[in-house]
Amino acid sequence: MKLFARQVCALVKLSFIELWRRNDIFALVLLGLALMVPLSMATPFGAEGASRYLDEMALLLVWGFSLFIALGTGQRLFPPEFESRTIYPLLAKPISRGRLLVGKYIGAVAASWSALAFFYVLFVASVLLRGGTFAAELPQAIVLHFAFVALAVSVSLLGSLLVSASANLTLSALVLVGMFFFGRRLPEYAEGLNPALAWVVKTVYAIAPHSEFFDMRQRLVHGWGAVDGVVFLVALAYAVVYVAILLLLASCVLGRKRL
Amino acid sequence: MSECPDIVQLEGVTRAFAGTKAVDGLSLKLKAGEVMGFLGTNGAGKTTTIKMMLGLLAPTSGTVKVLGGDPSDPHVRAHIGYMPEVATYYPYLNARELLAFYGGICGLDAKTVRLRADSLLESVGLADAAKRPLKTYSKGMLQRAGIAQALLSDPDLLVLDEPFTGLDPLARIHFRELLRGLKERGKTIFFSSHELGETELLCDRVAIMKKGHCVYQGPVKDIAGDGATNLERLFLKTLEEAK
Repeated sequence: MKLFARQVCALVKLSFIELWRRNDIFALVLLGLALMVPLSMATPFGAEGASRYLDEMALLLVWGFSLFIALGTGQRLFPPEFESRTIYPLLAKPISRGRLLVGKYIGAVAASWSALAFFYVLFVASVLLRGGTFAAELPQAIVLHFAFVALAVSVSLLGSLLVSASANLTLSALVLVGMFFFGRRLPEYAEGLNPALAWVVKTVYAIAPHSEFFDMRQRLVHGWGAVDGVVFLVALAYAVVYVAILLLLASCVLGRKRL
Repeated sequence: MSECPDIVQLEGVTRAFAGTKAVDGLSLKLKAGEVMGFLGTNGAGKTTTIKMMLGLLAPTSGTVKVLGGDPSDPHVRAHIGYMPEVATYYPYLNARELLAFYGGICGLDAKTVRLRADSLLESVGLADAAKRPLKTYSKGMLQRAGIAQALLSDPDLLVLDEPFTGLDPLARIHFRELLRGLKERGKTIFFSSHELGETELLCDRVAIMKKGHCVYQGPVKDIAGDGATNLERLFLKTLEEAK
């Protein structure tokens, strides 16, 4: 257990260093600052609706940035190890492929969470500076967003072991963004289709990662209050089970990968 | 030497890739404290053999035992140090961070890693560059960082894949002395190389591979009596005879 803890700590530290020393993340942070600071200073004629619109925009930016970071971090966990051949000295150490996968995943999620936390600090600051307030929905919204990031990293990690980087990032983004915006409408859409197509749409609905379960932007912006505790816990459990399944699949793929 | 236990034991090992045998029926033993040079032309099966010794590849048939166990077991690998032929490592880390990372993977505590890293960076001549990112390192410096990471866990068996590649003459002499020091400390060393002169200077025994087959195994001191005056002649003669 001590060995595993030290291995995970080393992998988490590696992910943090990698994330925060990357030029693209540095650029993203600067971009975040450049977009959020003007938002915080905007006084849209004192109109409440306009202020909410700014909040919505800021939240959409936070979601976009977090998706970009999560997919990028998940994608970079294994392919660079194979390309630079660092996978050999790494797996020649006392660590199994399964442990390496779990350790790297934890590291990637922790690093992505640190970036998300940074963006939420900016968002909360921008709202407070405009005189806005938050109610009980804020902690729930943040926790669900963190769960979404953990899910997105696992999607990208599995994809990185199966297809090329560009294909993985495109497919993962397409699935997660598609479900985020259209996921809740799929059953309704399936009703109007012929049985074969309806079956396809229903299957997609059953197996695709439901990003929309974690989206509390509207509640946050309009102050609709927190969701029921059970619903909240079910969404978290969904993320945990989905991540576990994806990691299990990734472990099988990595285990069969020829070195 | 005959009373020493076998650190590496390969019995009739074959590894095939899509029907082509990269290693065919290889049997090899390496005793504790021995230094063995593993020679052969490109594609002879040296790296495949090394990967099987590290548990990175499973043999198609035959058995591989390292330190009395299966090298695919992480507990066995805890006693093996490995330096790959080419590795760019993590360009955004510096040498000290690289060793801290590998130390963590080996399960070493922070204090031990710090002490060993200081001493290893000094001994491989990277102490002055320890805080520079690895992306600024030359090939030779990366090789030295690779040697340092291989030695970090103070392994009983050191497996080196082409360790002299990219080293300048001075670094080569320095590295040779480093390996001699390790041998004197009783470490078992197995390395593949194209550098026949270095192999002759360092090894107790050599094995020569050709197209997946081991065509020669013997002590370096016997080479003169084999009709050849040095390892280079023996190497050429063996490969010629194996045609």
